[in-house]
Amino acid sequence: MATNTTTDNPIRELNSPALERGPLWIRDLRKASLESFNTTPVPPRGLHLWRYTDPEKFLLKNDVIDTAFGEHFDQAEEVELKHFEDGTLAGLVIDNGGRQIDVRLSGDLAQMGVVVMPLSEAIESHRELVEKHLYQTVNNTTGKFEAMNGALWNDGIFVYIPDNKTVERPIHLLREAGRANSAAFPRLLVVVGQNAEVTLVDEYAGGAPSTEDGFAYCNAVVELIGGQDSRTRYISLQRQGQGTISYLTHRARIAKGATMLTVPFAFGGSISKQNFGVNLNGEGANSKMVGLLFGTGRQHFDNHTMHHHSVGQTFSDIDFKVVLRDKARSAYTGLIRIDHSAKTCEAYQENRNLLLNRGTRAETIPELEILNEDVSCSHGATVGPLDEMEVFYLMARGIAREEAVRMIVSGYVRSTITMAPEDLQERLSAVIADRLGDL
Amino acid sequence: MSDKKPLLSFNDVHVEVEGKEVVRGVTLTINAGETHAIMGPNGSGKSSLSQALMGHPSYAITRGEAFLKGESILDMDPDERSRAGLFLAFQYPLAIPGVTVANFMRSALQSHRGKDADMSDFRKLFKAEMNALGIDHVFATRYLNEGFSGGEKKRIEILQMAMLQPSVAILDETDSGLDIDALKTVAEGINRFHNDNNGILLVTHYQRLLNYVKPDYVHVMKAGHLVKSGGPELALELEDRGYDWVVGEEENQKVEV
Repeated sequence: MATNTTTDNPIRELNSPALERGPLWIRDLRKASLESFNTTPVPPRGLHLWRYTDPEKFLLKNDVIDTAFGEHFDQAEEVELKHFEDGTLAGLVIDNGGRQIDVRLSGDLAQMGVVVMPLSEAIESHRELVEKHLYQTVNNTTGKFEAMNGALWNDGIFVYIPDNKTVERPIHLLREAGRANSAAFPRLLVVVGQNAEVTLVDEYAGGAPSTEDGFAYCNAVVELIGGQDSRTRYISLQRQGQGTISYLTHRARIAKGATMLTVPFAFGGSISKQNFGVNLNGEGANSKMVGLLFGTGRQHFDNHTMHHHSVGQTFSDIDFKVVLRDKARSAYTGLIRIDHSAKTCEAYQENRNLLLNRGTRAETIPELEILNEDVSCSHGATVGPLDEMEVFYLMARGIAREEAVRMIVSGYVRSTITMAPEDLQERLSAVIADRLGDL
Repeated sequence: MSDKKPLLSFNDVHVEVEGKEVVRGVTLTINAGETHAIMGPNGSGKSSLSQALMGHPSYAITRGEAFLKGESILDMDPDERSRAGLFLAFQYPLAIPGVTVANFMRSALQSHRGKDADMSDFRKLFKAEMNALGIDHVFATRYLNEGFSGGEKKRIEILQMAMLQPSVAILDETDSGLDIDALKTVAEGINRFHNDNNGILLVTHYQRLLNYVKPDYVHVMKAGHLVKSGGPELALELEDRGYDWVVGEEENQKVEV
């Protein structure tokens, strides 16, 4: 069984130069990942987390080459460059599919010992830190496609905030996927030291704007380590073109007393599968996820969140909102896992799905694996159309229906957008306005 | 009475909700400068009539006619009715998370004035009306009705009325849930709004609001009909004697005022 479900186009046929990148210990890890990818069967459709999306879509086809990258082309670049220049951002990284990674860091950050650099450089200059954490939370055992990234990441970004340092302004990472028939494998490793604080915006842009010329492919991995009493805000913004097949696995592990706010925005891609997970690994650890997904056209989203309480007296909360219009689809699976030994935990989860028209479809699947009884837990899910009473109320004040709907939806997503740094909120609101523009 | 200018008039209006007829032929004319009160027990159909006149999607007018300043409103959407000059103060105003009172108010006023109309006076006007109603300015940036007390919601309804300056305002149980101070403030707001060019329809169960907002005419509604009409003294009588003594002999009478 295992043999005939193994992919029929193993990566070695692509002869990716990425496999030969890095020092020997990295090349060994890449080869182990490659081996794992080639021998791990494609997940069967019935398997957990693959019920709603065909895994075959994430296999690289032979006609996909990994060189179809050109100049930077995303309009966000100009905006964020301005934000860096006027001092709104403490750092800006422009990552062109891993081919070229330009790092801009304000002087005070460098003085503080904050490190933001291409992963390929950090492997040499900060080997101890990188070796300690890279492949620790996402690796071959996570899954077939995570192994694929482990083998093929072109280059990645490394962020390190030293102990007791607070970075007050956001650091923005702008990652551009390639156009049609390209493949990108971004990777991010973030280490936040003890009692350190940082806000990171991890933006995935570019990709193929439509499927006319074929698909662009992107398979990303994010690993975050939050040290004791650290405070991390991590915003993930997926707004790749609608001809992009996009896969992302995120894992964070936070220590005693650490807080982590994870804010995923999922707007882009043709097929987008994202998996955000936080492991609460020390007493008093606190993780909050506030997500927003807005699908239009024929977009297909498959999002998973996980809170894993492996230590007692930890707190987690998820508020994941979905808005769909046209023929967009979304499946959301939210797992709360509390280990047997993790007593007196609190874990909450809410998933609301707003369907703007018939023809959209949303699935919501809460999953609780709670292995002890001394916990406080709740989950809630709703799927439904707009509240017509709200629409009537606004119309009764003279506001036309389309405008009333725009106001209600913009209001609905507002509490999520305000979780992002202020300088990003304008762009996020513009995405929402654009998606509601032709209602 | 030909010098009177009818603002809202409806004739033999029937309203159905979920297939059930709850208003069974009501006729009334409100002229410029007049205040009418429709009083009645719970379930008499008075709120259903209000909702139906505003165009609530669940309350269908199945028979009859309704005119605002001579123009039939039955084919108008609720926003068109509003822009034509009709206002309904909701009994249970809805909370709209993420939409601030100021943004909502600005959008509403912009809709009334027209898409490209000048709004440079908005802030000044908005602040003045908030001051007049004793509404703290922090409410401007709060989300519409979210977490507001009953009294706060009703004040915000009156604020909307004051800003939009409708020709006819229907106030549905605006007095419910108000303590005496809030009741006075709201009543003052209504009185300040009222002039010779507009009309008011108060829909209420109790007469206590009528101590502060003097109606010219009082109508009693029972089981979907207006069963009795009179002057302000009728409200006092209802307060003393309840609704049971009003019998149905005046059912379906046409109120000519």
